[in-house]
Amino acid sequence: MLLSLAIWLQNTGLFRFLRESDHGYEILLALHVSSIALFAATVVMTDLRLLGWALRGHSMQSIIDQMRVPKRIGFLCVATFGFLMFGIKAEEYYYNIFFRTKVVLFLLVAVHALIFRPRVYNRAAAHAGVKLAAGCSLVLWLAIVCAGRGIGYIHPPVFSHHFAMHADYQTPTGLK
Amino acid sequence: MFIENPLNTSAWTFPILEVLHISGFAIAIGTVALVDFRLLGLGLREQTAGQLTKDTSAATLISLSVALFSGLLLYSTDPDKFYLNVSFLFKITCLLLAIVFHYTIHRRVVLADSSPALGRLVAVVSIALWVGVVFGGIFIEFVKPGLGFD
Repeated sequence: MLLSLAIWLQNTGLFRFLRESDHGYEILLALHVSSIALFAATVVMTDLRLLGWALRGHSMQSIIDQMRVPKRIGFLCVATFGFLMFGIKAEEYYYNIFFRTKVVLFLLVAVHALIFRPRVYNRAAAHAGVKLAAGCSLVLWLAIVCAGRGIGYIHPPVFSHHFAMHADYQTPTGLK
Repeated sequence: MFIENPLNTSAWTFPILEVLHISGFAIAIGTVALVDFRLLGLGLREQTAGQLTKDTSAATLISLSVALFSGLLLYSTDPDKFYLNVSFLFKITCLLLAIVFHYTIHRRVVLADSSPALGRLVAVVSIALWVGVVFGGIFIEFVKPGLGFD
């Protein structure tokens, strides 16, 4: 089911266009990594403040509140560029163990948010769990960087006839 | 005498160095970007750009050092590949300009709380240089080897 969804996705017009463009994937990758810089800084500075290792002149709540908007903008950019890259090679990524690991790690990020947002991030004066929340967050995001870089290291065999599900469609040349 | 680079004897050193490199430059560029976006009037409005840069400069310097040293080690694994690569030379040019710009003009303008127009100009130059570094780095793998533009 997920596999047929991935194959459908990569055969939509947008992703066929991106896959066959000269440098679409590489440009999206560079934009993805640039956005990661902005997003990573907001995550790391927030967590370092919660750990008490940086920005000690400001209250935790002030840093959390001020970082919230740039963090969301950064995440939106990272996620958008990341999704576009996924769509270009959706079928290949479906089989990629690092990609699967990354998806699981994102589920853990969601669990982290469900647990710690109401208890820590929305009221940082409550000290219990603050450092645990920050430590888990840093470990999770570092693991996501590792998994993300790992995706590019392996190229599972794909069944290229899936690209040609539409009769009018030739096998793509841009797929690396 | 030929001496084997110990970094090339394990398959794991390169990916681990890469992750250190990515984490390092992400935090370095990201903290600079926070200051730049403040100069552009976006985000973190409770501090001036000058206060913000004082608060983040330690994180910038430490993570930039991690990125630079891991980058040197990555370079050492295959120098021929990198110094004969157009994208790599573009990246290093942007990097040198970005670092010099950051610790001279950028720093002075930010700490002096100069006029908003000058601040915005400096912010745009800073973001462009750092994004240039990232693009140059990504495209190392995707341009043809050699110095020809072809």
